[in-house]
Parts: sequence; C-alpha cells; structure tokens
Amino acid sequence: MQAHSGGRFRRRSKALRRVTGLVGLVLALAVLGVGYSAFAPTGNSAAAGPVDAETIAHGKSLFDTSCISCHGANLEGVDGKGPSLIGAGQAAVYFQLATGRMPAKANGAQMPRAIPVFNQQDIDAIAAYVQSMGGGAQLPGSIDIANADLAKGAELYRLNCASCHNFTGKGGALSQGKYAPPLNQATNTEIYAAMLSGPENMPTFSDAQLTPTEKLDIIKYVRASNDTISPGGYDLGGFGPAPEGLIAFLVGMGVIVSITLWSGSRS
Amino acid sequence: MSTVDKTAVPTGDEMAGMTQEELARLGARLDGVELVEYGPRFEADSPAEKRAERQVAKWFLLSAASALAFILIFVMWPAGYQDPFSSRQWIYALFTPLLGITLGAAILCLGIGVMSIARRIAPHEIAVQQRHVGPSADHDRRTLGAELMDTLDKTGLKTRRGVLKSSLLLAGGGLASAAILAPIGGLIRNPWAQGKDSELWVTPWKPAADGTLVRLTMQDGSFVRPEDLATGSLMTVFPGVPGGATASDAAVMLFRLRPNEPIRVRTGQDGFNYGEFFAFSKICTHVGCPVSLYEDQTGRVLCPCHQSQFDIHDGAKPVFGPATRPLPQLPISVDQEGYFVAVHDFIEPVGPGFWESFQGSTPWGSHPEVQPQPKPVFPPFGQLPKENP
Repeated sequence: MQAHSGGRFRRRSKALRRVTGLVGLVLALAVLGVGYSAFAPTGNSAAAGPVDAETIAHGKSLFDTSCISCHGANLEGVDGKGPSLIGAGQAAVYFQLATGRMPAKANGAQMPRAIPVFNQQDIDAIAAYVQSMGGGAQLPGSIDIANADLAKGAELYRLNCASCHNFTGKGGALSQGKYAPPLNQATNTEIYAAMLSGPENMPTFSDAQLTPTEKLDIIKYVRASNDTISPGGYDLGGFGPAPEGLIAFLVGMGVIVSITLWSGSRS
Repeated sequence: MSTVDKTAVPTGDEMAGMTQEELARLGARLDGVELVEYGPRFEADSPAEKRAERQVAKWFLLSAASALAFILIFVMWPAGYQDPFSSRQWIYALFTPLLGITLGAAILCLGIGVMSIARRIAPHEIAVQQRHVGPSADHDRRTLGAELMDTLDKTGLKTRRGVLKSSLLLAGGGLASAAILAPIGGLIRNPWAQGKDSELWVTPWKPAADGTLVRLTMQDGSFVRPEDLATGSLMTVFPGVPGGATASDAAVMLFRLRPNEPIRVRTGQDGFNYGEFFAFSKICTHVGCPVSLYEDQTGRVLCPCHQSQFDIHDGAKPVFGPATRPLPQLPISVDQEGYFVAVHDFIEPVGPGFWESFQGSTPWGSHPEVQPQPKPVFPPFGQLPKENP
C-alpha cells in the first residue's frame, strides 16, 4: 500500500513536470514572438536623394560591374538574358535591388527575395543612373500611411491585388513555377515601388489607375492584414478553410481518439 | 446465450423477497453478465471515501468556475473592434480565444468529473460476460431463410403478379419524380425564350435604345481614358450604367499590351481592340470565377478556381485547365471626349459555356445579330492581323 501510493506520487510529479514544461515552452515562444515583432526592422526610406552627375556616374560604375552582363552596356538588354532597362525608372530599380532579387543569383522561373547586395546609397545611385536613361516611374519623396483609408485600401486590394497575392497577403502560385510572393516581408516602399513598376509578371499600376493616395490606402491594408492578431489564435499560415479543416479533423479527431484509448486503458 | 438459458426467471413472489442488491445481480445475470466481484468501494464516511469525493468534486468546481469565467468574459470583456494599428488590439484579439478556452474547460472538467465518479466512487465490480462466437446457430439461419422465402412464394411476387409489381414500380417512380420536380422544376427555363433579348445574349454593355454607347468605368464610377493605363497593365472595368459594377456578367478586364507584342485575334473579331488595348470578359468560361491573375510578361490570365489559363496574346484562347472557350472579347473604342466605350455588346454568351458548343451556333438557335460561324479558327502565327485604332 505504501509502495503503491509512492508510485502514484512519482507518476504525478512526472505529469506535473510535463505540464510545467509545456507551459514554459508556450511562454518562451510567446516571448520570442513578441520580442521579434518588437525588434524586427520596420523602417524604410527610399526617398530619392540629391541627384547629381556624380551620383549618376557612381551608379553607372556600379551598373557596369554588376548589371551589364544581362542588361547591356547601354541598358538595351541582352537577348535571352535580361530585358532592356531604358525607361524602367527609379521605382523598378529600387524594388529589384532593395528586395535582393537583382543582381540575379541564378536562372529560374522567377527571382526570389534575397538579402540585398547593395546598400541604400548604392541602390539610389544605380536608380539615378537608370532614371537618367529614358526616365520612368519614380517613387515619391515620402510614403506615409498614417492617414491612409484602411477600408478603401481593403476594397482596392481585393479588386486589384487579392487575385494573385491572396486576400491575406500570403501570395500564391502562378503558371509554370512563377508565383506571387507573400507581402509580409515587403516594406511599404517596396510595395509602392512594385505597384508603380510592375516587376516581373506583375501588372503595372500607373498613378492614373491607382492614385498615389489609393496606393497608400492599399499599403495600409497590407500592413493591417499582416499585423492583425488572428482572433482564432493561430492562423495556420492564413491559407483559409482547407488547412483549417484538415488540422481540425486530424488533430481534433486524434486527440479525441487518444483520450478515449487512454481512459479505456486505465479502467 | 447459454447463461441466459440456464438462469431461470424467478416468480413474482420470489422476487418480492429479494434485496435490492440481489435484484441487481439477478438483472445482470439475466443479461448474461456474472458479477464476480461487486460491492461498495469504501466504507461509508471513511477518510478514503472523503478523499475520493473531494477529488471528484474538484473537477466539478473547476467546471463551474470555468463556466462562470466564460459568463464574466462574455458580459464584461471590452471586446470592441480595435484595428491592427491600435495598441489595444491584443485585448480585442483575446476575446474569442478566451471564450473558447473557458467554455472548453467547463465542458472538459465536467466530463472528467463524470468519468472519475465511475472510476473512484461507483461500486467496485468485476463482471464477466459470456459472448457467443461466430454466426447464429445453423437451425436459426435455416428456419429464418425458409420463413422469408416461403412468404415470398405464397404471396406470388416471385413468379406471378406482374401487374402488381409494375404498378408498384410506377408508384415509386412517380413519387420520386414528383419529389425531385418540386425543388428543381422551377430552375428549368428556356434561356433563349426572349429571342435576341434573351438573358445570355444581353449584358449591361449593350448600347442604349437611342444608340448611346456604354462607357468603361472604374469601380468608383470614373471613366477610363487610354492614358490611364501604363503599358503592361490590367484594369478591371465595369459598364457605366446604373448597377453596372455589380452585374454578374459585366466585369471586364482592360489590358494595355506592349506595343511590339505579336498579337493574334479571333476570326471575325478584327478591330475589337483599340490599338494595344484589349478588353476581355473577366468571367471564366469554365464555371464563372473571376479570372484576373494576369502574368504581364507571358500574357496569360489565370483563373484561381481551377487553374484555367487564357492567352491574351492569342485571342484569350484557353491554353491550360478545364475551360474550353476563349474569354469573350468586348469591342472597344474611344468616344468624342476621349473615354473608352463599348462599341456593342459581347457577341457570345459570357461565362460558363454549357449552353452552347461554340461561338454563335447552338442546338437551340443562333445569335440573332451575328452570323453563325464554324468553330473559331486562328490564323497561323505569321499572319498577324493589322491593328490600327
């Protein structure tokens, strides 16, 4: 009897250790998540700096060492390698370089996001050089979404962006290995630049089609969509009802079956 | 089975003399269950019983506390919407999970409590139940089969009574048809009954009776000029008539393709485009989802529902997926004031193509204003039609 109750006691303390371990894990994850969101870089600035001949010359020298093999000595493009950049504009250069898609690392259906090779100054210089060759779309001086209209942005997002990028901004597949990337990593300026320049297979949205104000509204919606704390707890990647149903079925059923088996084996 | 047979059912008098426990054991025995060990788990009012009672009550109290917490949270939690830019978003976002956790805990604790009554307090028993193995006894099966077949033979349903059988079949079939007709019948209509005004031929893009052409508008109702679209862009446009932005068959994708792009147009649809501007229905010809995943460089639009792909550079011909018809093209031009207008309505039904086999010709009749045409033929790639606004 004594030995029996001792065994029970040991078992209980083991269970207790497991529970405290689980709680500790959850707490640690929560702290990690909050800490990450506190320290994750959010700032961005792409305001076109002072453009002078010196900057353009610096940009050209960078272009001549990093971009010339695919885009040509005079930005005319190289057949089968890279498109012409004449008239591509500052916004396109900013997007491609700031997201690290260019310079391209390898051939593929689409260039993935990567750590940028150039710093902000160099990006501005190359952008100024490309801008000086035939003009093109340019980013505005500042991108401030504080006063943007979230509801309008949501409506415009659903009409113009959601078909490819998913209404939660998680991105989605296109044909033959191409994809619309998720928007959670993109900064406000990068999203603005993408709308202006239509990188890769994305259509272009001129300022007449989506006014600068409307672009800011859309960016505000993207930010809001990213920053929304899922009211159901974990959002399972935001992919909608299919994974949610699958997890509910597998995990829910699994737990119920395990509890049933466990309680049956104990009696 | 054998146990039941061996147990004689006592008479009423005998049962009157039995105790409650004896009756309980008898009931179990009559059901083929022998209680080998049976009795209270504890002595009444013993410390062990008190402890077991407390252990069970703990779960019920926890359940009650969770339910109370649920009620308090439901009533008092500041659950008003907070947008993601608010520092109070956490409070809003916690509301639903807290309700779920408290109500779930209340149900779970109640269940565990009930289970632990059975495990800790209910009488201690070890029961043995006799179970018969395999199928019923041979004589059982033979007699049952004979009984059924004999009834069937004597009724004559197997060999005779043709009228009875066919009338029964008729009655069942009739009732089933009537039951199906009631909900479905109202949906069956002749879509071509109104001739050239039939629903499938007419969209809000149709010019007004006085010949006024319908302008292309953005979602907010503003008109569209060619210079509003950058090269390589897509704009969803709607007919500039009341209700145009919400009509299910009216949404159109307006593309501005690259000027040097080799483009093919479908036979009989020359001049539907305005220079490098092309307008195609946004409604997929498979089951009517909005197609608008536009790949600006390959010229493909993808339908998100079933991955149909249409080649905008080739008359919006389906090149992948289940769609079989090209997206109908809307003939566009620019009016005196420089805004895009629809020159006339679509020349083929918009959306799912199950009503017609190919353009302009159907088993039910042809489009009243368009000559019936054979299956659309695309010219060979070298012979590009001249495009000239």
